[in-house]
Amino acid sequence: MNLPEELSYSAEHEWARRLDDGSTIRVGITDYAQDALGDVVYVDLPETGTAVTAAESVGELESTKSVSEMYAPVSGTVVAVNEALVDNPALLNEDPYGEGWLCEIEMSDASELDALMDAAAYRALTEG
Amino acid sequence: MTNRSPLDLVHRQLGAKMVPFGGWDMPLEYSGTIDEHLACRSGAVMFDVSHLGTVRLSGADAFDVLQSSLTNDLNKIEPGRAQYTHLLDEADGSVLDDIIVWWHPGEDSVFDVMPNASNTDRVTDAIGGTDITATRAVIAVQGPDARELVGGVFAEASAVGRFKVGLCTWNDMPVVVAGTGYTGEPGIEIAVPSDAAPSLWEALAGAGIRPAGLGARDTLRLEAGLPLHGHELGPGITPLQAGLSWVVAFDKPAFRGRQALLDERERGLHRRLRGVTTAGRRPPRTGCAVFAGDAKVGSVTSGNFSPILEHGIALAFVDPAIALGDSVEIDVRGSRLAGTVVKLPFV
Repeated sequence: MNLPEELSYSAEHEWARRLDDGSTIRVGITDYAQDALGDVVYVDLPETGTAVTAAESVGELESTKSVSEMYAPVSGTVVAVNEALVDNPALLNEDPYGEGWLCEIEMSDASELDALMDAAAYRALTEG
Repeated sequence: MTNRSPLDLVHRQLGAKMVPFGGWDMPLEYSGTIDEHLACRSGAVMFDVSHLGTVRLSGADAFDVLQSSLTNDLNKIEPGRAQYTHLLDEADGSVLDDIIVWWHPGEDSVFDVMPNASNTDRVTDAIGGTDITATRAVIAVQGPDARELVGGVFAEASAVGRFKVGLCTWNDMPVVVAGTGYTGEPGIEIAVPSDAAPSLWEALAGAGIRPAGLGARDTLRLEAGLPLHGHELGPGITPLQAGLSWVVAFDKPAFRGRQALLDERERGLHRRLRGVTTAGRRPPRTGCAVFAGDAKVGSVTSGNFSPILEHGIALAFVDPAIALGDSVEIDVRGSRLAGTVVKLPFV
């Protein structure tokens, strides 16, 4: 399983990457999550400007076999979403840490990012 | 206890994602459901469908037992042919199982009856016979190129035509082949003794036929508008409601459930199965309500994203007043998808 060392991970199988401004994160689902979901065929993304709360649902990912909630790993405001997923949700399966990113959130409390797992802890979670 | 296919090890070596299904551990997907789906529509794939039951009936009364139990008319076919038919609940005409009967060629009284995975006991309770499921694997090769590719490694099997049944030989082992399937594509289904199944699977793979799992089998059958027991057929659902009256030979003097169906026909249907296409990629799902304006008119029995059409499709039981071409809406967890009632199959 592909788990980039520099990312932070949530128990909901999402990753967060801190962007250069220090206060915004990019969010996506992990390789483990995309494999478990199977082929994603529809993504219900939040709207830009939406206020989100850590661990609450902000959208849905639908595959040929199931529906899965998308959660905000931290609290803040959605400042960008990956519009490319609307017509090509397969990007989530093909490149979950790159072209398949979901959204960007400007954090209201950057300390919430520290509460997420590192790659080793997340690996232990998925292998446990 | 979980049943294992004779091909179980082959699937695991291929890295298949395995799932429990009807008491069996079967492959869900190998390369991915959509990839496998498209490969079936454009070329050929093979499915392990060993989880289907095989009940063998032989003996002088076999024909009469089947003819008086099942809905379709065996006099419409002959030895060497296959027929789709239903086993009904005598009391209310519900479909206990939908079945393919393979009538062995050259034999007046040898039949292989193929029920769904978990319904085999119901079928043997009703018609007797010997459950030979554990002795064989069944490989379904499906797609426009299926016969041509099978022909390269097993010419005898590829020569079995649509809805025909042939007795062939693979590695000196007797094999039953039928020109049947569940994808809407041409193809054949091969019942091979368990010990010979891996060598046949590998020969077919060597001929360029890719494996496909239950995920693609479900999206393919849905696009083809074919019913799945437990969704479009089952308790409380008659063949007439499911739009399958062609499976019911009312002119036979007797079959289980005949009177219940005659009564329903007299009363008029209270619902019927329809195909609905929806706008956009979001999949309608089993249980979603169907609306015409503000009125709830039915509910979805199976729904998904169609890999060929690239939008949502659903089978739904709806009020009989809903007609082809009508506009409806499907409620997917609070969002309404615009839908149109269409003729089946979807593709």
